[in-house]
Amino acid sequence: MTLTYWSWFKDLQKVCDIFNEKQDRIRVEATWISGEDYAKILSAVAAGGGPDIGHVDMRSVPEFALAGALVDLTRYGFAEQEDQFAPSAISQVNIENSFWAVPQDYGPVATFYNREVLEDELGLTPPATWEEFHETAGAVSETGKSLISLDPGDGFMPIAWVMQAGAVWFRPESDGWIVNMTDDASIRVAEFWDQILAEKIIGTGYGAFTTPWYAAAGEGKVLAAIGGSWSDALIKTVPDGHGKWAVAPMPVWQDGRGYASAVQGSSSGVILSNSQHPLEALEFLTWMSTDPESIDAMIEYSGIGWSTAKDYIGKARQQPSEFFSGQNYNEEVMVPMAEGQNLEWTWAPLMQRVSTIIGDGMTAAVNGEIPLTDMFANAQTEIVEIMREIGLDAEEAR
Amino acid sequence: MRSKSAPWILLAPFLVVFISTMIVPILMAIGYSFSSIERSGLLGEGGVTRSFAGVENYVAALSNANFIESIGRMILFGIVQVTVMIVAATLLALLLESASAKFPGFFRATYFLPYGIPGVIATILWSYLYIPGLSPIVDVLGLVGINIDFLGPNMVLWSIANIVTWTYTGYNMLIIIAQLKAIPGELYEAAKIDGAGAFKVATSIQLPLIRPALMLTIIFSIIGTLQLFAEPQLLQSMSAGITSEYTPNMSAYAFAFQYNDIGMAAAQAVIIAVSAFALSAIALGISSWTEKRR
Repeated sequence: MTLTYWSWFKDLQKVCDIFNEKQDRIRVEATWISGEDYAKILSAVAAGGGPDIGHVDMRSVPEFALAGALVDLTRYGFAEQEDQFAPSAISQVNIENSFWAVPQDYGPVATFYNREVLEDELGLTPPATWEEFHETAGAVSETGKSLISLDPGDGFMPIAWVMQAGAVWFRPESDGWIVNMTDDASIRVAEFWDQILAEKIIGTGYGAFTTPWYAAAGEGKVLAAIGGSWSDALIKTVPDGHGKWAVAPMPVWQDGRGYASAVQGSSSGVILSNSQHPLEALEFLTWMSTDPESIDAMIEYSGIGWSTAKDYIGKARQQPSEFFSGQNYNEEVMVPMAEGQNLEWTWAPLMQRVSTIIGDGMTAAVNGEIPLTDMFANAQTEIVEIMREIGLDAEEAR
Repeated sequence: MRSKSAPWILLAPFLVVFISTMIVPILMAIGYSFSSIERSGLLGEGGVTRSFAGVENYVAALSNANFIESIGRMILFGIVQVTVMIVAATLLALLLESASAKFPGFFRATYFLPYGIPGVIATILWSYLYIPGLSPIVDVLGLVGINIDFLGPNMVLWSIANIVTWTYTGYNMLIIIAQLKAIPGELYEAAKIDGAGAFKVATSIQLPLIRPALMLTIIFSIIGTLQLFAEPQLLQSMSAGITSEYTPNMSAYAFAFQYNDIGMAAAQAVIIAVSAFALSAIALGISSWTEKRR
């Protein structure tokens, strides 16, 4: 029997082939699609076709479920496999006792910084707390450089900040959603970044890993990126970066509230509702995300950000990296980042839209129109309204 | 009987494709635009039903501030960009067709060349000229003390206008030249005998006679403006100024494929189509009205 799999992982067929050779019951055939091709998957399913397995980032899984495109994996006993996955990964595809996807890859957030310029040239250290981030960003901006540069239109960045601070924006409750974007944690994040934006001490023209960012990073004008673990591969393409960069934890809140890190970017395998072989697809997906041989292959061929298996980060990640000045950053930094996650966080079935609203709001905040503190409150009202419009039961937290 | 069925048999292959890829999707989109979805449960697992929503989606689309703003943005864009482009295309056409033009064939081909480059590629090419740190233009302007951020929130619309103008001026110029070529030589001769100079020839003979071509290019450009999609979509990742509902088409795309709200997307698409139709009709109306007054 042959399973079809649409995925944006490069060379995924090589990973599938390892599975195909191990047994003769199931054969998996991967087809590459672009990461922006959700429309293609959803249209194929709506038309009654499509592959058995689709590739969806974890935050968009509820959106796919809402579109009626997914199989609830708990029906096929996936809950029993839960222990094989890192809690921080599996919790992201779990909505009220239902698992909608098999986590494959995610990005615990850390600080990637140009050690040569930040430490050797400017005599600064990577900020351990957000309070220190404020000071360091100020000191760097006085030298005409920027500590980081943000794309204000990227709404998932503030979402990572509040997730770390301990907010839970969307809480499923019986048959509806409680939306709470104005709790203490969220307001603290909003006030902090309002101040950073008002002081204009970080770049706000472009996001990390865009063409202008690479140009500036290569010249030592932008010194860091606070982003998902997959950033390491992108940092390696900074011109003349070899041996100069290093990795530090995500800054935390000084008083110890909140979590060590957050998630930025992820992917998971979903079984689409037209699949004739959901049980076999689940067997393959579980193997793919938990078998050490498969994880090593996914790191080698597909460049996954971080393994979602419990206790196995991949052979290649247990060694020091020559590029990152000999630092063994995966074990030293990324493991604690992956473990220190906000397990209460749940993705709502309209994250694309939420991120747009937050991104547009942050753009307005950068332009000095509406501060983030007010924007979060306005966004909460707007999002509840939209959830009701698309037929969901939702209310604002009191 | 046989002679009557022959055209239909010959037309059949075209009609099948035309109906299935044009007419049916349009009818379906119109249908979707009047429907909405009801869900129960956290993720709709309790059941989903599609129901008739009347004009609800249209009301929602037209009361969506972002969508209205995107239409306003396109109107502003159109007024400036279409005017600049048509004036430039007309001037180029008149210059190339004047008696004193050197190597008109070479320049015609050169001006037309950008049209041969797909919009996506053109945008990527231009983005390298806009990005600070990479762009020689930004560097040179910086040297003489002009600091300009082509991708900034206030500038990016005009940076897009520049790409569109660059791409389509030569194309519109060619349409105008085709019409200029159709002007009979006797008219020029008569003008010369009457003592008209090059400027008089252009304003009294050429411009009035190329009016139909100008009308055509203006209508194409208006439709093109409303359809603006690829350029801003691509520049989005490089500019903080472009939101996901920056143009009406981007808005419809976002609602359909990111927000999973087909009814709203269909309503927006219908509004865009009707607006393009209405604007073209207005352009034609103005044209025939001025024609009659002459």
